[in-house]
Amino acid sequence: MFLALKEIRHEKLRYGLIVGMVVLVSYLVFVLSGLAYGLAQQNTQAIATWDAQKIAVTSDANDSLAQSLMTKQTAKKVTLTSHEAYIGQAGVVAKAKGQPKLSAQFLGINRGEFIYRKLIVTSGHKPTTARQILVDDSFKTNGYHLGDKVSLGATGGKFKIVGFTHNAKLSVAPVVYGTLGTWRTLSHVTSDFKAGGIVSNRSDFKLKTSDLKTLAMSQFINKLPGYSAQNTTFTFMIAFLMVIAMVVIAVFLYILTMQKLPNYAVLRAQGIPAKVLVTTTISQALILVVGGLVIGAALTAATVLVLPAGLPMSFNLPLLAGVTGGILLTGVLGALIPVRIILHVDPVSVIGG
Amino acid sequence: MPALTLAHVSKQFGHDTNQVTVLKDVNFEAEAGQVSLVIGPSGSGKSTFLTIAGGIQTPTAGEVHVQDQSLQQLEGKARDALRLNKIGFILQAYNLIPYLSVQDQFTLVDRVKPHGNLTAAQLANLLDQLGIANLTKQYPGELSGGQTQRVAIARALYQNPDIILADEPTAALDSDRVKVVGQLLHDLAKQHNKAIVVVTHDLRLQEFADKTYAIMDGRMTLA
Repeated sequence: MFLALKEIRHEKLRYGLIVGMVVLVSYLVFVLSGLAYGLAQQNTQAIATWDAQKIAVTSDANDSLAQSLMTKQTAKKVTLTSHEAYIGQAGVVAKAKGQPKLSAQFLGINRGEFIYRKLIVTSGHKPTTARQILVDDSFKTNGYHLGDKVSLGATGGKFKIVGFTHNAKLSVAPVVYGTLGTWRTLSHVTSDFKAGGIVSNRSDFKLKTSDLKTLAMSQFINKLPGYSAQNTTFTFMIAFLMVIAMVVIAVFLYILTMQKLPNYAVLRAQGIPAKVLVTTTISQALILVVGGLVIGAALTAATVLVLPAGLPMSFNLPLLAGVTGGILLTGVLGALIPVRIILHVDPVSVIGG
Repeated sequence: MPALTLAHVSKQFGHDTNQVTVLKDVNFEAEAGQVSLVIGPSGSGKSTFLTIAGGIQTPTAGEVHVQDQSLQQLEGKARDALRLNKIGFILQAYNLIPYLSVQDQFTLVDRVKPHGNLTAAQLANLLDQLGIANLTKQYPGELSGGQTQRVAIARALYQNPDIILADEPTAALDSDRVKVVGQLLHDLAKQHNKAIVVVTHDLRLQEFADKTYAIMDGRMTLA
């Protein structure tokens, strides 16, 4: 560590450039991870707030709640407990006088069922009648207020916003909570249909009818339109970035080590154990990478402060820890490549003449 | 018992028709309290002699003993430890670590060998003797050739070895400094009972030597 720190302090420009490179790589990886996670969250935020484990949709709906229409006849075959709730989804365009149009996801639910009970109101109250709706906070940031009369399509008339709720997004659109009756109207279906599907917060929830297909929430989420494609794209971008970072860091450390071989040969001639030199190289790589990560994280935090509120950027501690660990591991692997050269450095080379 | 003994040492490089014999049946003894000079031109085998004497290379034939310890019987780590504890090298080139200040060159020795080094007072006295007491905060890149050489001498002496192997220690020094270094090596040998071996082609050092060996085409003779 002594040699590692002394060299970094003395060769500020050289090591500053390497730290700068790690800063840029970690900054890019952090921002991309934040965007990936933020976007993923906006697909599923509403579902996460329910703590739901399973969902049942009609067998012909291709695992999509929006495409699922469950008849009352099918519903009769199923006995629900307090852990289940009926739900119906419909894509709508919300519009109030003097406010911008907003594309949203309408979710019809029954009062008293567990989804209704789980909803957390940030202002106002939960809907108590069919003409009342609870909407995501993003409505508020777009200028909507409590009491605004909102139309949700060509049919159905006006609905009054009686409350706002936080983190209510589904398929990257704000959610409007209302009744299943309103859902039927907006979906243009008759009262023969009970709901779109059933959500359960029990992990052992399973239906015995062939009309309905039970999915784990993770399966359902992966089938959300665009969700898997987005995540796969981001995952590959981050993975490629990590691999490229590893190669670049490894090359830099290799070149640096090669430049230091004459010094290492002197130290070996003087009897300094090879272990000290190997420890120096690895600890130096760790110092550089940790330094770069800390600055990269600070830069990311500063970026978050100046980004527009609507940008889907969010951070998750296990994900960040994983990314940080990956970059750290990259640095150590890069430093390990020249270890063999250090172990075989020839002190004879510095005794000339 | 001699501090350093080379008995019938030969060193060959290469194979078959490319084989070169650099040292031929060399016999050498360095006593504690004496300066032994090995004088020879470039290519005579001086450096190979020094690396074998210091346990950096192994001879093709013959025996090397540091005090009563045969170097052939020591493996990697034990040889490193022996070099660190018993042998100080004064190297001709690249002999200081460029990113360590003069003071840090000594601190590094303390880090890997915490005991048996010179005390702060002894080091201050040594630096004063060498005329480099005011350079402790300087880096090697800020020193002249002569100053670098004197710091390298101090660095080798700092670990208080029994044997000092010097490779052209006066190569970059003017005549006045050669006298200072020569006298210092001589005093060290006498006052601290060190065995000092100097390989050089600088005949000005002869007046400080107790024994002088000549080396030519790998053969060593006592002059």
